[in-house]
Amino acid sequence: MTYRSICVPLMLGTLLAISSSGRAEPPSPLDSYRNLKHPPTKENFNKGWQERVLVEFEIVNSADLGAVRAGLTDKDPFVRSIAARVLGIRGDEDSAEALAELVKTDPEAMVRVRAVESLGLLKLKPEAIELAKKDSSDAVQWVARMAAGQLKAETDFRELTQKAYAAGIKPDKLGVAKVGEPAPDFAALASDGRSFKLSTVLGKKPILLYFAAFDG
Amino acid sequence: MHEQAQLRLKRGEVEKLGADVYVVLAMDLYRTRVFKEENLVLSTFKNPFTEEPSLVFGTALSDPAGYASALYGVSRKCLRGEAWVENDPCWFVIDRRGTLTCAYPPNFSSATFYEKDIDRVLDELRKAAHE
Repeated sequence: MTYRSICVPLMLGTLLAISSSGRAEPPSPLDSYRNLKHPPTKENFNKGWQERVLVEFEIVNSADLGAVRAGLTDKDPFVRSIAARVLGIRGDEDSAEALAELVKTDPEAMVRVRAVESLGLLKLKPEAIELAKKDSSDAVQWVARMAAGQLKAETDFRELTQKAYAAGIKPDKLGVAKVGEPAPDFAALASDGRSFKLSTVLGKKPILLYFAAFDG
Repeated sequence: MHEQAQLRLKRGEVEKLGADVYVVLAMDLYRTRVFKEENLVLSTFKNPFTEEPSLVFGTALSDPAGYASALYGVSRKCLRGEAWVENDPCWFVIDRRGTLTCAYPPNFSSATFYEKDIDRVLDELRKAAHE
């Protein structure tokens, strides 16, 4: 790696980020993700999650589609992973071929997981989903089983997911729940598809609320 | 799922307290359905619920964007272990007035951690029920 190979792209990037009015433009949502202070690694589990949540909402809701598609070939696996997830949620059928290719060839399981998950949301490329059931990673196999189930279902799970992101989230809402204070309201869908709002059951009976991981 | 299986063992107590149970997953509706409808406990030995199709008796809720999880401060949007883990699991108890009275994250510290977790959560639920 030479001084020139590092500095020229950096300078070029800086120039490109300056608009014709001479003002620096804000980074794109995908660049914000690439430059997260705390990338979504195991070590950062409890650090910087607020920023990761906000940037993910931003990428799903407003990132330029071309930039997200380009993210599928980014050298950073976290960027490939989020790009694969977002293209599925946004219903970008033109990316199905590229997602199937990631399922088959990406060296990182976290990218293959997101790619096969998105093919399930898009209900496309059943052969790639079938192949993923035999992946070397248990996680990919499991997500492939879920994606295969989605292929057969009538419900549009992708649309429901996109709608949930479209509602947006404000920074001052993150982690607002506090013991001793009223439980914050939220809306969700029950497993049978019915709409649910916590406020409709609050103040009537005691409630146990569990935020689960799939295996926990 | 072990937390849910353990809670299933204490279902009678929860019902006696007149409480509702809600389980939120930061996942799409399809996975939430699988979580609710399939018995996902991994052990194959004979146990009281081997034949039951589901162990989740509470209402399973799909929160695919992780909005509710973020509100309650448990959304990590992270790749902890494997990529599908989006939440840091946590129990919350809410009393009859709608006030949060307890936040209790399971610590997964032993093979039988869930027994103590559910006992602790039920203690807190009893207090909330009588307030």
